[in-house]
Amino acid sequence: MEIKTFTVADLKTALASEDFWRAKTLPITKHRALSYSRNPRADENDPVLLVAYRNNRVIGYLGILPDKIFVNNASYKLGWLTSWWTDSAWATSGVGAILLFKALNAYDQRIGVSGGSRQAREALHASQKFMALKPLQGLDIRLRLNVTKDILRRFPAMKIFRVWFKIFDVILDEVMNLRGNFWQRRNNPCQRLTFEHISAIDEETDRFIQQHHRQDLTRKKKSDLSWIMNNPWILSAPLKDSASKRYYFLSRANRFLYLGVKVFEHKTEMIGFFLLKVRDDRMSIVYSYFESRHAASITAAAVHYAQAMHVDILNLYDERLVASFSKLRYPCWSVEKNTRGFSLSKAFADIPLADCRLHGGDGDLAFY
Amino acid sequence: MDAKIAQMLFSVIDELNQMRPTDDHLVKDLEMPLSGDSGILDSAGLINLIAVTEQKAAEELGRPLVLTDERTLSQVNQVFQTLGTLAEYIHLRLNEKNDG
Repeated sequence: MEIKTFTVADLKTALASEDFWRAKTLPITKHRALSYSRNPRADENDPVLLVAYRNNRVIGYLGILPDKIFVNNASYKLGWLTSWWTDSAWATSGVGAILLFKALNAYDQRIGVSGGSRQAREALHASQKFMALKPLQGLDIRLRLNVTKDILRRFPAMKIFRVWFKIFDVILDEVMNLRGNFWQRRNNPCQRLTFEHISAIDEETDRFIQQHHRQDLTRKKKSDLSWIMNNPWILSAPLKDSASKRYYFLSRANRFLYLGVKVFEHKTEMIGFFLLKVRDDRMSIVYSYFESRHAASITAAAVHYAQAMHVDILNLYDERLVASFSKLRYPCWSVEKNTRGFSLSKAFADIPLADCRLHGGDGDLAFY
Repeated sequence: MDAKIAQMLFSVIDELNQMRPTDDHLVKDLEMPLSGDSGILDSAGLINLIAVTEQKAAEELGRPLVLTDERTLSQVNQVFQTLGTLAEYIHLRLNEKNDG
């Protein structure tokens, strides 16, 4: 078995190589490699991809997202683990363990983990090298029922009744739309609000964010958020292409987009900014900046956008948005708790992390 | 020292077995395959073995032992082929430290 370490510079070379992309199993997609190579927090020599080969075949890989965390006046470099995969045919070859420990060694034992599969979480727990941060307690707010999708996923044989389920969905959506319209007329929380859409962070938003990110663990700046918005790992496409069929992780969705929303009160006073991500039928607020007194307005704005984008589910992770949502009494089918877990390696054990604020997009979560 | 290392590894196996279903219990036999083509540990199992071995080495042998350095990672399949090869490797590493 051979392990190859790709730095940012190596990945740029790989992007120009035809052979690299001919592999039967791809350790990364081109748009993801482009994103890695443009990461404003990465240096050219930072390792960003570890690939295990056996007889010239890819049998495992692990991505690393270089980042910085900030506590009080100090900053620390780390790498977030992402896209950890091993070929099940080589499950007992130790490849997964080698990739993990090599990543830890490459970053001087300073590694972070966000989310992850059950198997990945079990393996990380087993290593005894990580400590959990206080998880984000978010909400899954179901705005549309989408019975068709749920029933056909559970009972594919019911496909012959698809049209009837669709009609049922339309009727249920109309009922919910009516309730939503009544709610809007009665409450109209966005009455005083105006919005501006941005596809990259502008100077005004950058200044606003910097006034509101002092407690943030990752303190995103203009270049960081603009990089996320303009370098997605998932592309909007109707079908899988040849690369996405050879890559284990999600690289395509029917609909995938980011939108930056500046929120103004009385047309001139900027009271908030949020970065929303839409993937298929789900919208998530991955970063949000505002003062607590404006939480109700920002929550109402998020709901307003979810309704306008016809998504089934809205995800909120900021605790102030979560608290405000229940006070809004907005009509929806269900509200369920949704936890996002983060861990840092024990190399950070001496750093006071308890008061640091995490966002729903931190780690690699903004990209999925 | 060899007997002490084997005993320490058997206590590692005892601890790992507490976290494994009865059907998947590891046997306390130096010939037992761990990792590699005939191995029985998946990645999480191997990671767990390494973590518990490092911890037990400090507790029972009174010596710090690192099994996640580049030298060990470059020969994982040899070092972790069986419980016996792991015992030999630990013996080698601890003797090196003595020599140093």
